[in-house]
Amino acid sequence: MTDASTSTWTEADRLKALRATGILDTDREPAFDDIVELAASLCETPVAVVNLIDAERQWFKAEVGLGVRETPLETSFCRHALLEADRLVVPDAREDARFACNPLVTAEGGFRFYAGVLLKSDDGAPLGTLCVLDVVPRPEGLTPVQLRALEVMANQVMTLLDLRRGLARERAGNARFDALADSMPQMVWSTRPDGFHDYFNARWHEFTGTTPGSTDGAAWSDLFHPEDRERAWDVWRESLATGEPYEIEYRLRRHDGLYRWTLGRATAIRDDEGEIVRWFGTCTDIDDLKQIERGKELVSQELSHRIKNIFAVVSALVALSARQHPEAKAFSQSLRTRINALARAHEFVRPHTEVSAPSVGAMTLHAFLEAMFRPYTGVQGTPRVLLSGDDAVFDDQAATSVALLFHEMATNAAKYGALSEPDGWVTLETRKADDRFILVWREHGGPPVTGAPTRAGFGTTLSTLSVEGQLGGRLERLWLAEGLVVKADLPATALSRRRAALKTA
Amino acid sequence: MSARILIIEDEALVAMELKFALLDLGYQVVGLAADAPTALDLVRESEVDLALVDIHLSDGPTGIELGRELGQERGITVLFMTANPGMVRDGVAGAVGVLPKPTDDYAIQSAVEYALQRRKGEPTLYAPPELQVFN
Repeated sequence: MTDASTSTWTEADRLKALRATGILDTDREPAFDDIVELAASLCETPVAVVNLIDAERQWFKAEVGLGVRETPLETSFCRHALLEADRLVVPDAREDARFACNPLVTAEGGFRFYAGVLLKSDDGAPLGTLCVLDVVPRPEGLTPVQLRALEVMANQVMTLLDLRRGLARERAGNARFDALADSMPQMVWSTRPDGFHDYFNARWHEFTGTTPGSTDGAAWSDLFHPEDRERAWDVWRESLATGEPYEIEYRLRRHDGLYRWTLGRATAIRDDEGEIVRWFGTCTDIDDLKQIERGKELVSQELSHRIKNIFAVVSALVALSARQHPEAKAFSQSLRTRINALARAHEFVRPHTEVSAPSVGAMTLHAFLEAMFRPYTGVQGTPRVLLSGDDAVFDDQAATSVALLFHEMATNAAKYGALSEPDGWVTLETRKADDRFILVWREHGGPPVTGAPTRAGFGTTLSTLSVEGQLGGRLERLWLAEGLVVKADLPATALSRRRAALKTA
Repeated sequence: MSARILIIEDEALVAMELKFALLDLGYQVVGLAADAPTALDLVRESEVDLALVDIHLSDGPTGIELGRELGQERGITVLFMTANPGMVRDGVAGAVGVLPKPTDDYAIQSAVEYALQRRKGEPTLYAPPELQVFN
């Protein structure tokens, strides 16, 4: 409590605090009327007042025995009380220099006795008094019990004023929230901790064409698409049980009966103990976004289809052209298998949508190699090229080279190497070693190797070109007696150069 | 009597090459259809044992429904051949499986043999590696 003598408030602060109560010029209220009645009867005075000192007047929130709501400040007793510590008692005003000339005292039947207790704001600024007055002097003043009662009642007046202010603030807060919520393009809702919906903003009713109150409780659920209701309930129930944020996409029925894709989100508000006190949620119409997404997916799918189709057409064209030239049959076949290997590789790297994603495995190097070596599966369905080691992702730039390299390795092995024998097999080990990626192809159980072939075929040239030209690596061939070993040593970034470039950028 | 095969494919070059490949293998090619209505007309006019069905035809992605109808309602053995096998990843009732395109003559031969063996109810040891068989 600030003592008036060492007050830290100025008149401006005081008036600001008084205005902030919002009490001035309000109607009479029973709570205040009761207090002045009780004060008058306890102090045995004809007059009791809840008096608030404004800039140029004193205004009475409640009074008995006066019959007016305000008087000018010049004649105020209470104005003097504001300068006192906590209370002012004037036993006989005619004998007090401060009041002896006051018209209220000198008048016929004027006041003689005054006792007032300050009404102080939290900051200690005096806003007015609770006071009692009498037309007869009272030399003994108030009894200690009367004075104490007056103090208690003054505190009650302040409590009432604070509550009023709190309520006013909350009302303003609600109005602000309503204004904000109603001006948002989103639908906003709120529920009790148990999930009972008791608030929807104007946009919700505008969008759904419902009337306020008609979707409270659990009735909102009827506006969801029948196929989405159960899923939405599951997610919502899960959030209610765990307190985790709620997020889901569903179709919401618009006023015109159309279902629109909507993003629903909600978060719980908790009290100091961590208990959920409310849920606040929004619904956002994302139907247009979904349409664009769908459109993009269609274009991407269409493009993917066409790319794959072009490989098929080119492959058919090569075969058809060769039909006129029987001597070109072998040539056309080897060209077609190379084209097919490229097509297969692109299946694994082109941008995929959910629908166009490859039907087998993940889009990694191992998955691709597995698919590529599938034609070399043994009679019992067991693979004959065994993959091991570190897997990796690869992009479309690397796909062509990787596909051509291993296509050549496999077709060569099938013609001359391990895969030309029913019991032969190949191991392919892929290994990441620091900034290198190493692939070792090792043939087993093939016909004995007598040394490097005297003439390198186009396939060999193609392999070397792929590794050393395109991928920037080294290709090493070891013609061991037990079988060919080929080692491709690549920079680790070679398989996905764009990704590596993005990282360094 | 050799099996009667219908080719349903909207890329003329691909259809033509497939036809030659099948003829080389000794099969009869009943006809070429680039869209679903033509395919249905052809199966009404002639007996068909096996249909090789592309998914994207000149009247849109009608191959899936067409394959289902041919397999389930017309008693024709159906093998999809498409550049986009992901479209029938979950299988199509009444169809044997899908062969990804582009493919080679050997894969076509083994897939067609496999499908015809299944049609005749002959035991099949294992499916050709490139053919994705529906359950």
